[in-house]
Amino acid sequence: MAVTGAKTARPAAGPAAACFRRWLMRHPGVARAGVVILLVAVWEIAARFFLDRDFISPPSTVLASLGELFRTPGVLSALWLTLYEITIGFILSAIIGAAIGLAVGLNRFAHQSFMPIILLLYGLPQITILPIFVLVFGIGVASKIAFGVSHGMFPIMIAVAAGVQKIEPVYFNSARSMGASRWHLLRYVIFPHLVPSFFTGLRLGMSGVLLGVLLAELYVSTAGIGYFTSIFTQNFDATKLIGLVSVLAAIAIALNESVRRIELHYARWRD
Amino acid sequence: MNGDDKKNASHRLSSRLVQAAFLAIVLLLWFLATTKWGVSRILLPNPVNVWHQLVDIVASGAFIPDLRVTLGELAAAFAIAMSLGVTIGYLISRSRYWIRVFEPLLSAIYAIPIILFLPLYVLLLGLGPASKIALGATISFFPIVLSTIAGFGYVDRRLLTAARSMGANNIQMFRHVLLPAALPVILAGLRLGFTVALLSVIASETIASFAGLGHHIVDLAENMDTARMFAYIAVVIAIVAFLNAVVSKIEGRARWR
Amino acid sequence: MASAQPAIRVNGVSHQFGEPGEARHVQALLDTSLDVARGELLCLIGPSGCGKSTLLGVMGGLFAPTTGTVAVAGKPVRDPMPRDLAFVFQESALFPWNTVLENVVLGMTFQGVAKAERVPRARRALEAVGLLDFAGHYPAQLSGGMRQRAALARALSLETDILLMDEPFGALDEQTRMVLGEDLSVLLSRSNKTIVFVTHSLGEAVFLADRVAVFSARPGTIKQIIPVDEPHPRKPSFMTAPKFHALRDQLYGLLHDEIRKALSESAQPRRRYDQAVSAESDGEHT
Repeated sequence: MAVTGAKTARPAAGPAAACFRRWLMRHPGVARAGVVILLVAVWEIAARFFLDRDFISPPSTVLASLGELFRTPGVLSALWLTLYEITIGFILSAIIGAAIGLAVGLNRFAHQSFMPIILLLYGLPQITILPIFVLVFGIGVASKIAFGVSHGMFPIMIAVAAGVQKIEPVYFNSARSMGASRWHLLRYVIFPHLVPSFFTGLRLGMSGVLLGVLLAELYVSTAGIGYFTSIFTQNFDATKLIGLVSVLAAIAIALNESVRRIELHYARWRD
Repeated sequence: MNGDDKKNASHRLSSRLVQAAFLAIVLLLWFLATTKWGVSRILLPNPVNVWHQLVDIVASGAFIPDLRVTLGELAAAFAIAMSLGVTIGYLISRSRYWIRVFEPLLSAIYAIPIILFLPLYVLLLGLGPASKIALGATISFFPIVLSTIAGFGYVDRRLLTAARSMGANNIQMFRHVLLPAALPVILAGLRLGFTVALLSVIASETIASFAGLGHHIVDLAENMDTARMFAYIAVVIAIVAFLNAVVSKIEGRARWR
Repeated sequence: MASAQPAIRVNGVSHQFGEPGEARHVQALLDTSLDVARGELLCLIGPSGCGKSTLLGVMGGLFAPTTGTVAVAGKPVRDPMPRDLAFVFQESALFPWNTVLENVVLGMTFQGVAKAERVPRARRALEAVGLLDFAGHYPAQLSGGMRQRAALARALSLETDILLMDEPFGALDEQTRMVLGEDLSVLLSRSNKTIVFVTHSLGEAVFLADRVAVFSARPGTIKQIIPVDEPHPRKPSFMTAPKFHALRDQLYGLLHDEIRKALSESAQPRRRYDQAVSAESDGEHT
């Protein structure tokens, strides 16, 4: 923290430099991009000249060999399969999460009884039961989807239940006084109020599904992404490994960001 | 008011009963599935067997060598993450501008599942504890650095102004104002960092290791020793819960708010 | 009041935040000059955003004015001078993690008082404001009025000649304000402190001040200084005296137009000097 009170004398610099400095101050995004570029540059130089090629590869090489990576038999289908697992997992999480969340949230007694159970299950370190999932569902897409749903459905459940609980009684009272039926209440009072909580839950759910699916994929080293990460590691193929991991990271960022934007859009009418 | 209290109390009692009933039903179904309904022993072990294995594991201390490995990795990972996280977080927090530059960057990286980088660490550092420690430190770093930035960076400015007006020098400012003000936030971040480090260490042991608690579970799975595996999982869950509770307690003690 | 050298001399002070042309630019003070005599209580009063808090910050060395100078007991003011000036802020700036006693002691630690002296002086100051029984309490456990009394005790324990008070009773309810105002008047009569007191309240200004400096709307400058000729300690009965009402009406007359002007101004950011301090240190790398 700058503790000096009076303005510290700035070192004499040309007016152009001062102007640039002020512009830089007003656009932290530029500095941020600069930091990222700097880090990539360090990576490039270190990997090219100083480090062992078996263990790390410069970004330029990684980029150049992306094509080769995708042409490696099985890689592209493994990536598509992963995307498929995430999508199905996400949809299932949303449906199951919303359904249970609604059921638990609507009834005060159900909420009191079952919410603690849900929270307990949510707090479990699920990584410990990953081997069970694979044992039960096999090494194909089923276990990955199941593990993804297992991670993704809880935040949605909890968010929806909390959202229902938060609806002010005055809305129920005024609708009922006008003769609304249960279905009317559900459609015109509850659902609209649920929208922001639901989308917040979806954002957290997406993170969960991503984590679940990726953990399961990495664990199963005989098929899917896990197969390739293990092969590339054993062959010391740093270039392809970094390439594959980067593609997955990019997918994760893109998915997270999309859901985040959707959430922002729908949560607008809330405080 | 009395009627309401009675109603609340009876509600709480009945919901407890429902929870107990839920647990009982699950156990019953489990037992029936393995004994009467012929679900494969390999998929779902008999609960009685699981219980026997559990007692055996705990009594014989079979989990202790693995525990030592895991705790060692955890301690190293957390120590690294804490020292780097707090130091870098403090340095960034000293300027509003650098906070604006770095905070979004760090938050964005934190949002992706960093477990993805495990294969890279394994390539670099092998299957031993080093890769687990490195990954654990990496994942744990982010909540710590972010909470340190938040703690130091958003100290109530009035307090800083007041201290300055009374003639506090930089060291006094840090020791008597910045640090106590930032501490609750930083401690919360440290607790989160600890939890995350523990989970990531176990996860990386599960995926790619030859020792540790996570690895042992996988080992039992591969040997189809499902009864013992279930029991071991229960032990690991208990250990995780215990460690988290301890850390929460420590955080609670050290906070003034 | 016939000391030759003024306690504080403000000379031609102007202050702006930001550069002209920037969105956040505001001209807080314009060519303000003022002498604060030793041992007097001077009130600064004016409409919102007229720069009185800014002037207080400049007087206290919290930041340097864009133009002009301030001198305290002849010495130019560029940085906080904890041995000469002590602040009391509107929102209690007590550290929430310390007890009341620890807070007062800490102030002296910052100032540089000898270790052995600190606790006895703290206890004396707390006794003077009637808070000795609460020395071991935390600020969150106290009411707003008590917190401000603790802040006052902290300032008093620093044994400075000058107290700078920025709407210290502003966040309190009216009854507490009146009582604390009376206490302040009593304190003033016992010591020879010079106090500069920023307030919004006309009644408070007339009740407490030896002189009242009336500010114009932004950009702030001193419109007129009105003397209040009544010895300290002032009794509550003063508030019903005709002299009181006359002065209050005079103040209102002076302020009326300025308040209207300030209200009609568009949404320009209101600057308090702690925000000013952060504005000054924004973008400065340490």
